[in-house]
Amino acid sequence: MGMTDGLFRRATDSEVRAVVEGAPLKREDLELDISPDELMGGPVRFPGGIAMPVQVERVLGFGRSFSFWPLLFGLACCAIEMMALGGSRFDMSRFGMEAMRASPRQADGMIVAGWCSIKMAPRVVRLYEQIPDPKWVLAMGSCAISGNIWDTYNVVQGIDSLIPVDVYVPGCPPRPEALWEGLEMIRQRVKESKHAYDGLRRIPARDAIAEGGSDS
Amino acid sequence: MSAAAGLEKRFGKRLLEKTELRGELAYIVAPEDWLRVLSFCKESSALAFDQLDCLLGDHLPEREAAPFEVVAHLLSHTHGHRLRVKTSLAEGQTLPTVTGLWPSAGFDEREAWEMFGIVFEGHPDLRRLLTTEDFEGFPLRKDFPLEGTVGGRIRIDLRGKI
Repeated sequence: MGMTDGLFRRATDSEVRAVVEGAPLKREDLELDISPDELMGGPVRFPGGIAMPVQVERVLGFGRSFSFWPLLFGLACCAIEMMALGGSRFDMSRFGMEAMRASPRQADGMIVAGWCSIKMAPRVVRLYEQIPDPKWVLAMGSCAISGNIWDTYNVVQGIDSLIPVDVYVPGCPPRPEALWEGLEMIRQRVKESKHAYDGLRRIPARDAIAEGGSDS
Repeated sequence: MSAAAGLEKRFGKRLLEKTELRGELAYIVAPEDWLRVLSFCKESSALAFDQLDCLLGDHLPEREAAPFEVVAHLLSHTHGHRLRVKTSLAEGQTLPTVTGLWPSAGFDEREAWEMFGIVFEGHPDLRRLLTTEDFEGFPLRKDFPLEGTVGGRIRIDLRGKI
């Protein structure tokens, strides 16, 4: 019972309907049978009406998920497919994602579109760190995921050896529909306020040396 | 081609070899004549090669005496003709820079040095262009490993770089 003694309990469907339709309250409606944890689960009846208690993170996540602004940043051929998704045929502006920000300070996340050369790696990490929290990262294409066939001297063997990645979209390059699906998965994570960096004390690039490639 | 005649008249037997493939003319010269021939190509009014299209290196390990090759692709906007000049180098042999003739050679020579280890003497800024400063080895040489890098696995050390 605890803090909600005598005040709150879960509203029944009929009570919700009654308030919405303007029906009068009854005395027995005010009896309490709900714990504070359950308060977050749905509409709650209290004297004078019905409340919808939610966590602030959920409200923020709901709002953010409909205006996810990625960083305008392409590394290689995958960026062409990313542009196709931004164009009128696939039109990611339908989901509030069309505002690709040219500054990491204004972005909500980044799409690592293409292979990352070792010379580019410090720039990618710097851009990632300049994006304010909360942020999400999508690794687009085989090269960003694992380096693809380029197990060579100049290619980062998977961008997740440097920065935490939320969603991987395979393909070489992925179709715009595949990237769209990946962005929908990002959107789900935004709604739930889940991040790839949860539990990390610092990103992998800040550790001494990132390794990758063949064991030869 | 009058341009070829002018070049042959000036250098004669110092042009070691002449090849023509699908109308594209190429001369092979000795490394000692590299700067002299290219300088003449630019300054002579009959040739007037005012643009260095590209300058590149190559590694041909089957040529044991001189496994490295440098090729200059020249273009004349005045006359509308092209020419290739090649030279062969031994391991460790250097070549004079042509940045004094065409400043655009700076990037090409940096790349040729970085990828093949061909040193261009007198180059104003011979730094690595495409790889990181701490990179080891010359990646486009035929003996460079296809997978990984010199010493095995690829290692990325970003300390002090981010």
